[in-house]
Amino acid sequence: MIFKDKVAIVTGGTRGIGKAIVLMLVREGAKVVFTYSKSAQEAEKLIEETGKLGAQTIGLQIDVRDFDKAKELIERAKTAFGGLDILVNNAGITRDKALMMMTREEWLEVIDTNLNGLFNVTRNAIVTFLKQKSGNIVNITSVSGIIGLARQTNYAASKAGIIGFTRSLAREVAAYGIRVNAVAPGFIETDMLAGLKNEFKAKMIEHIPLSRLGEVWDVSRAVKFLLSDAAGYITGQVLVVDGGLAIK
Amino acid sequence: MQDIENEIRNLVAEIIEKDPSEIKPDSRFVEDLGVDSMMALEILAGIEKKYKIAIPEEKLAEFKTLSSIVDIAKTYLSKNA
Repeated sequence: MIFKDKVAIVTGGTRGIGKAIVLMLVREGAKVVFTYSKSAQEAEKLIEETGKLGAQTIGLQIDVRDFDKAKELIERAKTAFGGLDILVNNAGITRDKALMMMTREEWLEVIDTNLNGLFNVTRNAIVTFLKQKSGNIVNITSVSGIIGLARQTNYAASKAGIIGFTRSLAREVAAYGIRVNAVAPGFIETDMLAGLKNEFKAKMIEHIPLSRLGEVWDVSRAVKFLLSDAAGYITGQVLVVDGGLAIK
Repeated sequence: MQDIENEIRNLVAEIIEKDPSEIKPDSRFVEDLGVDSMMALEILAGIEKKYKIAIPEEKLAEFKTLSSIVDIAKTYLSKNA
């Protein structure tokens, strides 16, 4: 158990990649506070599931777009579990559409959740990390933010923004024993892909050198590595987990 | 209370790597002493640890001179007492 008694926050923790990260952390002994926006039932199930593993897990319905709620989230984790060691910024949404059809609301909604939300949570956590001179942050970005994907100008912009944020913050806080990295998943089998037609999925797989869609565990294992001591000399990096899709 | 001022002066001097004598009560941290935001946070954390008090992060903006810090520390010390 490499994260025994570490306190971790995971935003967007009830579904897909976020859920896999919560379960990975719990299995490695961490005390986890996760957030969710709508999926209250999934949150309850997840708490039950982690309970069976003998862990105390807290689920909070929090909109990361709200700065004050993000502050509450950090305080809750600290008071409930006595500290904060790990932050995984995972909460994210898509509103895919060709730019010519995209509304201002669809643009803002994605930027506000994916990018401003990440600022809100990290801004409220960073002082705790700086004071204790330790902390570990992993931000979930996307290959979309690296190679760009049609119909995702809003999503890709938010995810590219996360990469710039990750690199800048990594430089800023390295002297304080805090590492900041990002994981960029490619096409992972989650609800985000559930809406896509099978023919489209088959076409996507043709572009993936490893010839399959990713599983959520492919991503959570990468997160585990970056949070572990094995990655102790790694900061400001983007680990791409995409079966080779974005190879340059 | 003079003791607190001296203690905090020494703590600040150590963090910003200056001689305590250079830190006058009204020397401006940023302009005169070159204190940056990270140093200010270290000062805050150092005071919290030394006196076992909690100073809200928002107070950082008021960390302008030694005397302003001493006032803030005294306020939170008396709240805890």
